[in-house]
Amino acid sequence: MIDFLSGLAQRSLARRSLLGTALALPLLPAAARAQQSGPIRIAALSPLSGAGGAYGPSMVKAIRAVVEEANAAGGILGRKVELVVEDDQTNPEAAVRAMRKLIDVDKVSAVAGVWASSVAAAIAPLCWESGTMLLTCAGADALTNLPHQGFLARTQPNTTLQGRKFGEFALAQGAKRVFMLSPQTPFVQSQFENIAAAVKAQGGEAELLVYDDKKPSYRSELQQALRFRPDAIVLGGYLPDTTVLVKDMLRAGFNGTRIAFAYSVNQKLIESVPADTVEGIFTIAPSPAEGSPAFKHMTEQAGTPTPDPYSTQSYDQANLALLAMQAAGTASGTAIRDTLRKISQAPGGTVVSTVTEGLAALKEGKALNYEGASGPCDFTEKGDIADCQFRYEQVKAGKLTLLRIA
Amino acid sequence: MEALLQALVNGLLSGSLIAVPAVGFTAIFAILRYPSFAIAGYVSVGAFAGWWVNTRFGFGAPLALLAAFVAGGLTGLVCEQGLLRRLMPSGALTVAIASIAVNLVLENVLRFFFGNDLRGFDLPIRPDLILGGIFIGVQQLWNLLLAVVVVGAVFGFLMFTRFGRAMRAVADNPDLARLKGIDPSRIAAIAVMLGAGLAGAGGVLLGLDTSIDPMTGYRVLLSVFAAAVLGGLGSIPGAVVGALALGLAEELSLLVVPATYRTAVGFVAILLILTFRPRGLLGERAA
Amino acid sequence: MLSYLLFSITIGGVYALLALALNLAWGSAGLVNLGLAGFFGIGAYATALATGAGLPVALGLGIAMLAGVLAGLMVTGMTLRLRDDYLAIVTLGFGEVVRLVALNERWLTNGADGLSGIAAPGKAALGTAGFNWAWCIGVSLVVLLVALLLRRLDAGPFGRALRAVREDQELAAFAGKPVLRLKLQAFALSAAIAALAGALYAHYQSYISPDHFQPLITIYIFLAVTAGGLGRPLGAVLGAYAVVAFLEGTRFLAAEVPGIEPVQVAALREALVGLSLLLVLHLRPRGVLPERIPAAPKVSA
Repeated sequence: MIDFLSGLAQRSLARRSLLGTALALPLLPAAARAQQSGPIRIAALSPLSGAGGAYGPSMVKAIRAVVEEANAAGGILGRKVELVVEDDQTNPEAAVRAMRKLIDVDKVSAVAGVWASSVAAAIAPLCWESGTMLLTCAGADALTNLPHQGFLARTQPNTTLQGRKFGEFALAQGAKRVFMLSPQTPFVQSQFENIAAAVKAQGGEAELLVYDDKKPSYRSELQQALRFRPDAIVLGGYLPDTTVLVKDMLRAGFNGTRIAFAYSVNQKLIESVPADTVEGIFTIAPSPAEGSPAFKHMTEQAGTPTPDPYSTQSYDQANLALLAMQAAGTASGTAIRDTLRKISQAPGGTVVSTVTEGLAALKEGKALNYEGASGPCDFTEKGDIADCQFRYEQVKAGKLTLLRIA
Repeated sequence: MEALLQALVNGLLSGSLIAVPAVGFTAIFAILRYPSFAIAGYVSVGAFAGWWVNTRFGFGAPLALLAAFVAGGLTGLVCEQGLLRRLMPSGALTVAIASIAVNLVLENVLRFFFGNDLRGFDLPIRPDLILGGIFIGVQQLWNLLLAVVVVGAVFGFLMFTRFGRAMRAVADNPDLARLKGIDPSRIAAIAVMLGAGLAGAGGVLLGLDTSIDPMTGYRVLLSVFAAAVLGGLGSIPGAVVGALALGLAEELSLLVVPATYRTAVGFVAILLILTFRPRGLLGERAA
Repeated sequence: MLSYLLFSITIGGVYALLALALNLAWGSAGLVNLGLAGFFGIGAYATALATGAGLPVALGLGIAMLAGVLAGLMVTGMTLRLRDDYLAIVTLGFGEVVRLVALNERWLTNGADGLSGIAAPGKAALGTAGFNWAWCIGVSLVVLLVALLLRRLDAGPFGRALRAVREDQELAAFAGKPVLRLKLQAFALSAAIAALAGALYAHYQSYISPDHFQPLITIYIFLAVTAGGLGRPLGAVLGAYAVVAFLEGTRFLAAEVPGIEPVQVAALREALVGLSLLLVLHLRPRGVLPERIPAAPKVSA
């Protein structure tokens, strides 16, 4: 108990001294939580069990790789970086408990690898109140509209953009009638509306069916889709339900265009089903420009030529958080918030794609423009991805093959 | 009309997937008189065992099913004898709660060793037969056939073997059975092996259609319960009828209810049945 | 560290209310409610919607409890005549249906996005630190109040009648106890307490979504009630705080296990929850605080 009290006294002292020196700082408690000495801690709060369990492990691995690389390059601000991993159980109730511990006990300056939209929304208030930077792959449009004061940024492009790309891609494949099959997600409606808008502008038709994502078979749902006589079917789900759907599509003999998110038809799915099931499926993912060194670097670390989009995003999030702290000269969430855009998109800044390069450039006093493995990583005021290219891939002979990036 | 016919076919086929684990669940209930939530764990363990022998040794579906039956059955036996049996004096509900815990442990043992990655069987996928505009899944047809064979075998075992008769005697009246020299604990062990083994085999059938991960069993748990309750807890033919009825209800409901509420259909079906036929479609009986 | 402690105690209080709810239905009346997470969710959504429409928080809490009562009556009304194992299965299904409705009825619940910005009384006036203190104390007081209330109820004629029903339904009916009404009352009251827990959680966290109300929390509460001693309100409360301490403690413990992947750490933590529930059931089947059954009052004259 005495420890707590003295800790409390120390913290309020720290707060008071800061009050004297830095009245201009907008968020005092946040500044007071700056890590002064010892290792710098950042957190990965990812789904290691529950519905998102198929994604979390590789996301954590990507973040860990960045932390190890930073430490090998001499650490951040000359200090060692420590990664604290917690399981969000794909459940916001559990995630909030984990986040409180990360903030109050580990005093992390940033949390990365946050996957589910509901988890991001649940921990967002904790983050902005404590001055912890929240970096997420969550797709719900509502997220960046929260009053997050800059403490939230996401590497997943918003769904308006993605929906339009899906629609345009389907049209480019000659499809006039597009059917979307998706589980209930925060973005299914807006995604579908944007697909429909793109398709209808060219005189096509689009329809949506939202299914229950815990079923072992979607035969009836698929047949309902087939009665629409679609040229193209868009799959909006995640790994487990999409696996069932691609098999059902093969059985039903659908041979039109199949388009899916690269996070659902990823290398893991391709390896887990017979080859003819997924042959020819198109996937779309936000992407860096062709030949991106960050993407290449990441594939070497991940050990797969086609890491899924959540892993590449988590990789970028960790890089951004670490480089921002180095550039700011302070290890705190507020520092990351204030310098994020100075290292992700400084006009005329040196283009870097790894933490090692970034640290070297910062030592020479250069401004940075981080170009990541998931895209250019330029953020708007609200914390959305400013602009992004998409990579279009197709499954050919059991491998995701790049068609183009546009 | 075509849509209706198709829904009927789909209902039977998807119901047959649930039938096997539902029979397993109801067999355990018939003898031990508690609803075992651990059945979800046995389904997943069986699915992983079947997947392992399939991808490791290239065994086909029948051997994978056998491996799953054995793995599920042994897991069930260990969990039941080691963890659940001693709790019997505290009442059926306590055992049921403990079985939830067993399920949580099994799911996470699988997660610990295999991770969350999806795994698929290394077996070809056959295209549907199309008869008069109706799609019929070949593999699903095999599943239905397998389900019928398995249930038929269980039924025959119960009706015509000494063990089976003893099991039914215990289910009907344990005290009387003991007087007749039947050892209820031995019968219980066999029932558990049989029930958990069937659940494991059901896991492989599910895995053939989908792909497997540590939550495979958990995803179908509610449907298995619903099927068993619909048919009448403890009745083996009832579980089959219940599973098929549930499949039909779910598919037919898709014609009027949004697809997102498919799980809720099972719940409504239970409520309706319990209101009008509280003992299930075929009534509660062993075999 | 202090705010983490305050937070954990507050969450422990929410769990304690859920444990009290379960203890009333299961411990006192023998009705298993596996849909606890559903009632928790109903309370949370009811107050979020009511206060979102401009009603004061106090009224929101009342509406949440009322919604809980109505849902409880609905579920039990259809199943009370049935055996307990049927009730267990039906409540499990009910919990899932609540989650599905919250997920799919966007016009009402905002769907998978969830409801954010729920009124957090005291946050603006007290600041973050003050808010944490106030809620920790406030929720703890509510827990104390409900626990005392339930203890009185438990020791009174209502509690005795419930236990009579639990032990032998036919005998209780024969002795003139209104068995069905007693069960309905117990279950509805239990649902109201669970809904209150959900409502408090919603205001404390300011955000709820369908993902919040997954069945895992129900398992935690079962662990709490069995660990604390089935049939003892005080035991349920202690059990709930112990479970939160356990859940949080395993974070630090699991971090010490060398040489395993994060996903294996996660699996170990969840498996530990299951194992400890089994352990408690085996070693102390009646909990840390076993139920005390008071002697029947002497019949005067």
